Amino acid sequence: MIQFARSAARGGSYSETIGVLVIAAVFVVPWITENPMVYSLANQMLIAITAAFSVYIMLRMNLMTFAVPTFMAIGGYTVAMLGLRHGVTDVLLLGLASFVVPALFALPLGALVLRLTGVYFVLVTFVLTEITQLVLFETPGLTGGSNGLVGMPAVTFFGIELGDNRAVLQVTIGLALVGAIVTAVVTRGLRQHFAAIEENELLAQSLGLVVWHYKAFGFVIAAGVSGLAGFALVNMLLTAHPTSFSALSSVNYIAYTIIGGKSSMLGPIVGGALLIWAGDIFALRGEYSQFLFGFLIVVVVLLARDGIVGTIYRLGVRAVSRRTSSRKSPSAALGVPNAMEPLK
Amino acid sequence: MTAESINHGGGALLEVASISKRFGGLHVFNDVSFAIPPGEVLGVIGPNGAGKTTLINVICGMLPPTSGNVRLDGKDMTGKPLHVTSRMGIVRSFQQTNTFRTATVRENISRAVRFSGGGEQVSKTIAPLIDQFELEPQLDEQSDKLPYGLQKMLGLILACAVRPKVLLLDEPAAGLERRERLRVDAFVSHARTELGCGVLIVEHDMDLVRRLCPKIMVLDSGRVLAEGPPAEVLARKDVIDAYLGAVDEEAA
Repeated sequence: MIQFARSAARGGSYSETIGVLVIAAVFVVPWITENPMVYSLANQMLIAITAAFSVYIMLRMNLMTFAVPTFMAIGGYTVAMLGLRHGVTDVLLLGLASFVVPALFALPLGALVLRLTGVYFVLVTFVLTEITQLVLFETPGLTGGSNGLVGMPAVTFFGIELGDNRAVLQVTIGLALVGAIVTAVVTRGLRQHFAAIEENELLAQSLGLVVWHYKAFGFVIAAGVSGLAGFALVNMLLTAHPTSFSALSSVNYIAYTIIGGKSSMLGPIVGGALLIWAGDIFALRGEYSQFLFGFLIVVVVLLARDGIVGTIYRLGVRAVSRRTSSRKSPSAALGVPNAMEPLK
Repeated sequence: MTAESINHGGGALLEVASISKRFGGLHVFNDVSFAIPPGEVLGVIGPNGAGKTTLINVICGMLPPTSGNVRLDGKDMTGKPLHVTSRMGIVRSFQQTNTFRTATVRENISRAVRFSGGGEQVSKTIAPLIDQFELEPQLDEQSDKLPYGLQKMLGLILACAVRPKVLLLDEPAAGLERRERLRVDAFVSHARTELGCGVLIVEHDMDLVRRLCPKIMVLDSGRVLAEGPPAEVLARKDVIDAYLGAVDEEAA
């Protein structure tokens, strides 16, 4: 059990499984309630978590990306254009497009931006999202400009229309589940490679690791996962609008991951769910909502440097080791030889 | 990387021809040439700032040379990226301890073996080193919790796990106690005899250089001041002056 908990918190083999199961478990929500507030909250949480997954993938390689809204926009607008202009409504086709198109955009972009690290990478990805905003506003013929693309047809699944609140949530859950599975498979399969890049890129290279292959692959997959979040957002709003993909929203996605804990896939899930829920509660306080939201982030960052999941793990390990050591003799607990024991 | 270009271990001839490195107006070193046949050891010494570490950086591909070329068994390796030279067999160690800090010793070694495309054979090759450096009981320790000396030794084992043909060791004995320095001797001996590697050692410990290097090269202000057997080179006045500073005889 201890091994299980440790593995989950440290990003071990169980954390991905638990993460995927948690997202899959949300499928019960549309069956146990018809409350539109719950549906709305669940939609927002899952979209935030899916976007945070792509931040998590990049943070596995020590790259903090602000480009998530860019790829969300590409995924979301792709879906809106396919629906509005080409009549494509099949959720499977749209889901595939929302993953593949951002991933294809990410390939050449990655070749440019992945040469950078640290603050330079942060700045360039932030600027990239600003440029995306500009393009979305200034190309009305393609993107609808400041009006966005409105009046999307409801998506369908083998001809069944998925237009009501419950079906929209089911689509969001499905997309989040795909995002979770992709994230789990990639971060699990390449754990050692990503960890080596995160901890010591120079050493990894000197041991023969082709670092940019893995960075490019991670960037492309993260873009695809962001695209899924973009699809879910556009499907929930039935509108693709530039303000849904602002550069500042990327700060939230990073906050979800850091506050939840970036060392485990459970981090973005916990962080996304908690902060969306808190934002919803704080919204009732009107003008104080942003203050309360910011205060919560400051408190968590100050008290839980490893994020919520990492801190729970650390406290758990400390409690377990205290219990184990209290069963030993006091001298053994302190790690000094017992004077009563004969010398060997 | 093609199948035939992947390193399968064993030694290889490293040839460095008329290599120079300049940063803007600063000449780090100029027209340096040498060769290291398989199983041979070359020591590179010189005062701080002579360009020794930069020389290693250029040979292994971390920095491109301004002119000259590097060949491994006749293949041009000049300016190839670090991961390519490493996979071809030019492997370096670092002056400071350089491991995957939060990974265990076992994970460090398994990463090195995995990244280089090695397998069971490589594990067998490095097993004697793990025994010799007494790392066996520490295999499940986090690497940054090891004593400094063992972290340095782990760095050397990682270099060995990449199936090197030529090893570039950057001050392997720096910061080690006298007893631990003998481990560097054992490591170099293992690399030469068991792996057939050529070894280039940059080092300030003259006792170690005398013990390990049948031939040394002195770099001073970016030029080769002297080369030859240690006893001969270290007795030269210009070499002593370069290390200790020239004595103004008139003033004396």
